[in-house]
Amino acid sequence: MEKLIGILKGVCPGVDFENEKALCDDGIINSLDIVLIVSELMDAYGVEIDIDDLVPENFNTAEDILALVERAQG
Amino acid sequence: MSLLSPLFPALVLVSVTVYYLVPKRSRWTVLLAASWLFYLWGGLASAAYILITTVSTYVCGLILGRIREKNDAARVKKLRRPVVFLCCLINFGMLFAVKYWDLAAEMTGLSLPRLGLLAPLGLSFFIFQSTGYVADVARGKIAPERNIAKYSLFVSFFPQITEGPIGRYGALAPQLYGGSDLNFDNIRSGIQLSMWGLIKKLIIAERAGVIVNSVYSNASAYDGSVIAFAVLMYCIQLYCDFSGGIDIARGAAKCFGIDMAENFRRPLYAKSLAEYWRRWHISLGSWLRDYVFYPLTFTKLFNRIGKFTRKHIGGALGRIIPTSLATFIIYFLVGIWHGANYTYIAFGLYNGVVITSGLLLAPFFEKVKARLKIDAKSKWFSAFSMLRTMLIVFAGRYITRAPYLKMSLVMLKRTVFNFHPSALFSGVIADLGMTAADLIIVAAGVVLVNAVELTEERGTDVRLALSKKSGFVQWLCLALPLAAIVAAALFGGDYTASSFIYAQF
Amino acid sequence: MSGKKWTAAFFITAAVFALLIVSFNVLVDPFGVFGDPVFHWDSYSETQNPRIGKTAYLDREHGKYDSYIIGCSSTSSYPVGLLNEYYGASFYNLIMYGADMQDVRDMVFYMADNYEVKNLVVNVYIDNGLKIGQGEDSLSSRLPAKISGRSKLSYYSDYVFLNPNYAVQKIKDRADDGLLSKPFDVFDVETGAYDKRARDAEPIGSLADYLDAYPVFADYPVSTPAMEATDKTMECLAAVRDLCMERGISFAVVSAPVYWDYFNDFSKAEVEHFYRSLAEVADFWDFTMSSVSFEPRYFYDATHFRNDVGRMALMRMFGDESAYIPEDFGRLVTKDNAAEAVEAMYSAYGEPEANSARVPILTYHHITDEPQSGTEITPEGFRAQIKALSDGGYTPLFFSDLEDYVVKGYPLPEKPVVITFDDGYMSNYEKAFPILKEFDMKATVFVIGVSVGSTERYKDTEYPITPHFGWGEAREMVASGLVEIGSHADDMHQWAPYETGEARENILRLPGESEADYVAAVIADFEKSAADIERETGERPAMLSFPSGKYDVLSQWALSEAGVRMTVGVEEGIAEIVRGLPQSLYAMKRLNMTDEISPEELIALLEK
Repeated sequence: MEKLIGILKGVCPGVDFENEKALCDDGIINSLDIVLIVSELMDAYGVEIDIDDLVPENFNTAEDILALVERAQG
Repeated sequence: MSLLSPLFPALVLVSVTVYYLVPKRSRWTVLLAASWLFYLWGGLASAAYILITTVSTYVCGLILGRIREKNDAARVKKLRRPVVFLCCLINFGMLFAVKYWDLAAEMTGLSLPRLGLLAPLGLSFFIFQSTGYVADVARGKIAPERNIAKYSLFVSFFPQITEGPIGRYGALAPQLYGGSDLNFDNIRSGIQLSMWGLIKKLIIAERAGVIVNSVYSNASAYDGSVIAFAVLMYCIQLYCDFSGGIDIARGAAKCFGIDMAENFRRPLYAKSLAEYWRRWHISLGSWLRDYVFYPLTFTKLFNRIGKFTRKHIGGALGRIIPTSLATFIIYFLVGIWHGANYTYIAFGLYNGVVITSGLLLAPFFEKVKARLKIDAKSKWFSAFSMLRTMLIVFAGRYITRAPYLKMSLVMLKRTVFNFHPSALFSGVIADLGMTAADLIIVAAGVVLVNAVELTEERGTDVRLALSKKSGFVQWLCLALPLAAIVAAALFGGDYTASSFIYAQF
Repeated sequence: MSGKKWTAAFFITAAVFALLIVSFNVLVDPFGVFGDPVFHWDSYSETQNPRIGKTAYLDREHGKYDSYIIGCSSTSSYPVGLLNEYYGASFYNLIMYGADMQDVRDMVFYMADNYEVKNLVVNVYIDNGLKIGQGEDSLSSRLPAKISGRSKLSYYSDYVFLNPNYAVQKIKDRADDGLLSKPFDVFDVETGAYDKRARDAEPIGSLADYLDAYPVFADYPVSTPAMEATDKTMECLAAVRDLCMERGISFAVVSAPVYWDYFNDFSKAEVEHFYRSLAEVADFWDFTMSSVSFEPRYFYDATHFRNDVGRMALMRMFGDESAYIPEDFGRLVTKDNAAEAVEAMYSAYGEPEANSARVPILTYHHITDEPQSGTEITPEGFRAQIKALSDGGYTPLFFSDLEDYVVKGYPLPEKPVVITFDDGYMSNYEKAFPILKEFDMKATVFVIGVSVGSTERYKDTEYPITPHFGWGEAREMVASGLVEIGSHADDMHQWAPYETGEARENILRLPGESEADYVAAVIADFEKSAADIERETGERPAMLSFPSGKYDVLSQWALSEAGVRMTVGVEEGIAEIVRGLPQSLYAMKRLNMTDEISPEELIALLEK
């Protein structure tokens, strides 16, 4: 989790990933951020994230994102 | 049929009445009948386009559904590709042929035959909406619709077909097919929203637009201040007309108990151009994001570019270049979508350049802010950002409406070098057909729109607040706008003074 | 408010608004679609939309008429009075501005079914070849729904939910209405023609004056008309012809005169096709091109010829030779001579001024040894001027000679001159008359009715007056054959300081006087003046000199109603009169004579 938060903060400095519960729905991160986050994650964890998973529900909280990564790791 | 045609409210009135009279499970057929009536009012010829789109996306949806049922995830990925490709080829091919072929033929200078096709009502809206549906089926987000009549309603739902918003099947279809219960709060909301839209469109936009044409078509005849005024009027016209149209559409849908996607979220309050585009024509922006931007950034090519830049450039810059490139392409498409014209292409490039350079320069700005000890969250900085965004948008609007690209440059040049503010008060505005009364009405309208938007930006639902006022106040807020709309509709119609009818000899 | 209550409030409010708008538009009814229940103003409805307005009028009044002349706006210029005379019928001028042949066909079919129609004259103008079937787009040129077959819903809803500006304007116009036509009520309801009383009373003057007043002729707009509607036009006309044959309606076609500079804009091949196709449909009287087409003063504007031209056209058609008609004006065209007729259009030729003459009219007043003002002259000065005219070979004319030139086309002498005296001073008899006799020169004296015979006092006051001659002197002068008496009004040339009430110093309308009262006063005044002159001298005058030279269109029209056919003012210049255009005898210019003008200068002035 800490590794993830670190990566996220690297992409979007100034966003409170620990506490925000609706990152996408409230427009705190936008599509550009999502694309940047996903490409960082794919590099850092060596996983393939599918385009079909690029939906707001997978990016609303840090937990959602972690879950997404774990699913991708299989 | 246009949203401003007096037949439109008549159609809504009749279909709403019938809608709530028939049994709930068949209410969707009333919507379907009304939609086709609405669409065919303009002539049978345009029906061919919507039929092609409906049938092709319907069939592709079914095939994709079957592929999903019968195969595992990996095979689905492989098999769906040609189906989606074919579907896009048919629909965007059609869109290209109608809207862009002639322009492309002209630009390339090839002696290709000109098609001279007239775009039917809402062509790009229903194509975007139904290809979005196909993509969602392909991604497994929704199950395909098996009933072609129901599906046809999704493609042709009449309030949205002229100006959008571009709906998503997942959100819209259940509301369309389910049939809602009669609820007068919905009807009130719907009528209020429609009236709000009519006020913006009929009273503000039409007046503001009076001088736009003449100034844009012959800019070199006017001083910079007059040009700037016309561009400002154009901005007002564009926003009030478009968002007003969307409000009318959403209001009409609301009378059937259907909530359509929002298309504008007070773009005036955007703090950056990118945010502006997330507040302006939202349904198009999110469509492009989901169905173009994401797939584009996930292509092998972009992957390779990303790897390359990260390796050779590194840092934030290296990371951001591929996304910037994709962003650039998106805004280029936004420009093209708005109109098949050089000016719109230039407009797309302008937005793409501003936004990508913003992205690329973000680290630098952060450093500047830190150096100057600017608090990015302060009110002042927010206001500054909004103003800056407004100016950028304003400058961009020099481009789109000009009859040709060079004219917009002439206009910009005159605004900067020949501003002559006194020219604005020399009576030229009145000469261009905008009387003092018009000006006051536009100004009052802009103030009203802003007051409402500011209240909403601060989180208050204006209509909800209104419903808590006294009955008389509520009636006034119904009767006055209604009177204004009726007056604008009637007095704004064709009128020729009798002495002009009879050319005296 | 609950949602339900709100919704109810909304629909009730909307219904009230709708009712207000509908009643306003229906009651004021600017287009006459709903029977104009309040204003009953036919001419207004007809101006807004002649097709609807005239149908509404005829639905009510068609019993008055049994024959119709129909077509676009140039149709107006054929006087129905003459048609009635020639046909022995009762004509209505069904001119509909902008009418194409489809309008004509639809109207004729409607009339044949609903009215009594004995004779039909269709006016075909060259513009009928340009377009057809576009009138329905506009509120002011669409046919009534019952004639066009348009859906009644769309037709009535257009007028029920009309832009309220129309009704507001009608109410304003009502307040602004006058005796003569205004741009908002241009039709004469009885005849159906444009009310041209005002236009037919305006002075014509020289070609140069006319081009100043109507600059369109000086710099004629160039256009490139394309006659794309010829074939459809002829189909419609053929349908009208066949209907007339079937119903036993007499059917005639005229083709209206065209101004040469407009005619030249058309392509010859298209023109030929148009008129040859027309001849295939029916024989027609063609007035398209002739010397008339080259004289701007025969036209109101680019595409509309004057009523007098329409009169001459009808006279030519019916072989009426009681008045002047240019020799080359009009020919009957049939299938057999259509080709030559088109060639003739292209060989038509005329000089703008060929049909007009310049006639100097000299103005004298009092003759005295001690001239006090710029209007008086010494006997010596007068004699010298008359001698110069006589020596110079000038032929003195009466006003009837001018009228004969204009109306009958009689020639004028090589050097015409008209000598006039205003007011009727005794000095005219005592000093001028002997000199006229000496040189055998003619003159016209315009007498002020009330002042005839006033030798000492102004009317019945104690104020002294320059002596005026009496009827005895008048009779003696007239008997000599050298003098005729015209009118200078009976009592509309008052001298304000000597009057007790509001003085009528000239023939213009007094402030606050109603137009109707004023016109009645002018007619009564001239009637008195003319009756006195006729009783005393045996000749009823048809000419009047405007007191103080002041006049306007309304006064000129009122006088023409009273029987005045020639008027003179005090505007300096040589009068110019036009054959076939009696209106050119209105407000003719004159030259004011004083001692300052030497005999040589006078001759130079006349020869200029």
